[in-house]
This record gives sequence, C-alpha cells and structure tokens, in this order.
Amino acid sequence: MSRLQIIGEKINGTRPHVARAIRQRDAGVIRDLATKQAEAGAAWLDVNAGTHSGAEPDDLVWLIETVQPVVDIPLCLDSANPAAVAAGMQTVKRTPMVNSISGEAQRMDGILPLVSEHNCSVIALAMDSAGIPDTCDRRLEVVRRLMAETRSHGIPDDHVYLDPLVMTLATNAENAQITLDTIRAIRQEFPQAHLTMGLSNVSFGLPARSHINRAFLTLALAAGLDSAILDPLDREMMAALVAAELVLGFDNHCLNYTRAYRGGLFARPGVKATRA
Amino acid sequence: MSKKLVSAIADMREEEALKLVRQMTAEGTPPMAILDAAREAMGIVGERYEKGTYFLPELILAGEMLSQITEVIRPELAKMPEIKRHGKVLIGTVKGDIHDIGKNIVTFMLDVNGFDVRDIGVDVSPQKFVEAIREFQPQVVGLSGFLTLAFDAMKETIEAIKASGLREGVKIMIGGGQITDQIREYAGADAYGRDAMAGVSLAKKWLAK
Repeated sequence: MSRLQIIGEKINGTRPHVARAIRQRDAGVIRDLATKQAEAGAAWLDVNAGTHSGAEPDDLVWLIETVQPVVDIPLCLDSANPAAVAAGMQTVKRTPMVNSISGEAQRMDGILPLVSEHNCSVIALAMDSAGIPDTCDRRLEVVRRLMAETRSHGIPDDHVYLDPLVMTLATNAENAQITLDTIRAIRQEFPQAHLTMGLSNVSFGLPARSHINRAFLTLALAAGLDSAILDPLDREMMAALVAAELVLGFDNHCLNYTRAYRGGLFARPGVKATRA
Repeated sequence: MSKKLVSAIADMREEEALKLVRQMTAEGTPPMAILDAAREAMGIVGERYEKGTYFLPELILAGEMLSQITEVIRPELAKMPEIKRHGKVLIGTVKGDIHDIGKNIVTFMLDVNGFDVRDIGVDVSPQKFVEAIREFQPQVVGLSGFLTLAFDAMKETIEAIKASGLREGVKIMIGGGQITDQIREYAGADAYGRDAMAGVSLAKKWLAK
C-alpha cells in the first residue's frame, strides 16, 4: 500500500450512475465500487449521497450500511449538511473522516462539534466565503484560522486533513505552483497536520488530462502531500504514485514498487517484461 | 491588414495582434473594421474550441486579446453610434457557488455570437439578480452553478424574480455540470443547456421570436 493515504472518490452521488444506484437502492453497484477501490489500495472510502433534497441523511446512511459489510477501511462522509453527517456518525462502525469544512463560519459551526464529539478526522479546505484565495499567503491565512478553530474544538492537528486546493492551469499557468507553495508552507507551519487534495481540477479544460494529473501528483508528493482524493482504479495514476514514492525514498527496499510490478500494475498489453 | 489581424488573433499571436491594431488605428482604420475583424477571429476561436482543436486556455487568451484591443480603440469607438446586437443576456453564478469557468465560457460564446452580455459574477444573491434585471432589462437570464447546493439557489433566484413581477419578461436558462431536466423543473427555469453552444442556441431561439 502506498504511503499516500488514498481517499477513494468513486462513490459519489454527483456521478449519474452512482446517483441512479442510490435512487434504486442498488447495493451491488455500490459494493462493487467499494471492494474494487479497497483492493486497489484506498485507505479511506469517500461516500457522497449527492442529493440536493431532504433525502441526503437517509441516502448517506444507506450508502454506509451498504458499504460497511464488504470493506474494512474507514469511510469519509462527504457532505456539507450537518444533519447528514450526524446521521452518518450514528451508522459508521469505524471512526470516519468528514469531508469537509472550510473557512466559512456556517460550515465550521455545523460540522466541527460533530468531529470533536466523535473524535474523528476532518478535511479542511483553504477557502472561505470570499472564495479560493489566489495567493499562497492568503490561503495560509485561511489555514491558520481553520487550525485555530479545530484546536479550539480540541481536535488534534493530526486529525486535520488540510486541502490547499488547486485551480485549473487553463485559466492561470501558475495555479499549480500556488498550490505547491501552499503545501510546502503548511508542512512547515503545521507539521502534524495532514495534507490532502483532489488532483484532477488542475487539468480542467485541457486535453490529455491524465498526463497533467500525474505530473502534478508527483510534484505534490515531493512538496509534502500525504493524502489524496483520487480514483485508485486509475492504473496509470497508481503506477505514477508507486514510482514517485520510490524515487522520493518512501519505499524501503523498493518493496512496494516490486510488489506492484509483480501484481501487474505496470503491465501493458503487448509489452513484454524485461530485465534489460 | 484586417485579414492579418484575423489570423493573428485566431492563431494566438497576441503581440502581433496588438501591434496590428495600433498600426491600423494610427493609419485611420475605422474602429468598426477592427472590431469586425476581432469578432471574425473570435468566431474562428469558438469554432476551434467546439471542434476540440482549442481548449480553455485559448478561449481565455482570446478574451484577453479582445479586451486589450477594445482598450486600444476605445477613444475612437466612443465617437461611434452604438453597435447593434441580437439582444441582452444577463448571466451569473448563483448564491453559494463560486464556480465561474463554465459561466465564463458561455459569456464568451454569447458575446462572440453577437449578444450584449452582462456577467454579474459569482455567488450572486437572488436580490442582486432581481436588481440587475430591473436595471439591465435583458430578454434572457442565465443562472450558472456547479454545486448541488446551487439547485436550491437557482430555485430561490427564480422565485425571487417571480415575486418581483419580472418573470414574465424574461426567459431563464440554467446550466452547470450536473443540471438535468429534473433540476430544470425543480428550479422553475424555462430550459437548461448541456454546454456553451446550447446556451447560445437557446438565446438565439428565444430572441428570434
């Protein structure tokens, strides 16, 4: 398993076929996504009921009850709705993570007491009601406010997964650099806190996105990212991850790398393995 | 020279395009001729984007070129009578949502296609939409939103437009990554668009009547 804590992103009700499965209470579809992501190396499973109506608490509880019997990894309750998160807390077997709070007072007030009460982890986005700051310094200011809040609720720093956020390179060629700078600055100032992120936004609006996503993951790992919200079934991404962790010295005796090789992660149809 | 300007803009040669515009202005080319060339170039950029030859960065650079060109010819343009447009479209991202890329693309495509577009930004409250409709008097209103939260904000916005007595005077379209016909019905909009061109087609259809 990678050092990077992967939060598997696929059980997300904003994706049409997952939304359909939730509506029709089709447990098979959801369980399949759960087991496949766990087998592929996810450390957490994100569950997002994606509904916009009052059904979200019920839908989230159903997702949790559906997933738990088939996987051993903890869940990441993905909702901005305190009622849904509270309902989820009553249902989970393992201490979950909550996805997410931000610098918006409304989101902190609803969620942080639950995180504190249940001693769980929380993802905190480096943005507030004014939006996503466009400099590293201003994102760091939001992060400082977030950390002050989580600490005042008695939440230990290593239960906080800070998300430095990334905007697409398509609108500003420096957007990834801003995020990498933010990662380094957070690492320095809050060494106990985790750093997580959804990667794919970096390439929005551009062609051949997977190349960009992989390059960005590699650089973010070097900067100090230690968790990511991604699709662990994306073999190219996982291969890039295993190779990058090896190069960064995170893989003792290269065991993860050789294990991934033996497991066929690097195999391509028609390409024969060679020692040369 | 306007042919050269068209290809300089369409092929993303920013410095050359601006140099040409300055040169043409100095030589007394009417500002409308420059704008026509810019619009033709924007049309080409839009087509290339639709075909998948160009991507978001090219749209953004084209938009920047257009505003720089407008800046250069503004003194001349101020002396001209107002440009005729198909009609007015008011657009914004609804309250609670700050996604602006989709909205910006739609704004760009509407502009290129000859609409007078006013973009009132992101996280726009229902009240601000109502005020902007009163003031700008558009025939079409576009509500954008990517988050699921936006669905409720769209509904609220359309209700506020209704309550202020302005609903009859405008056609309302909604858009954003996750919009479906179900959401359209929930929000009370007239139509929804899957992509930027769908927004243009809707506006054209409504204004043709």
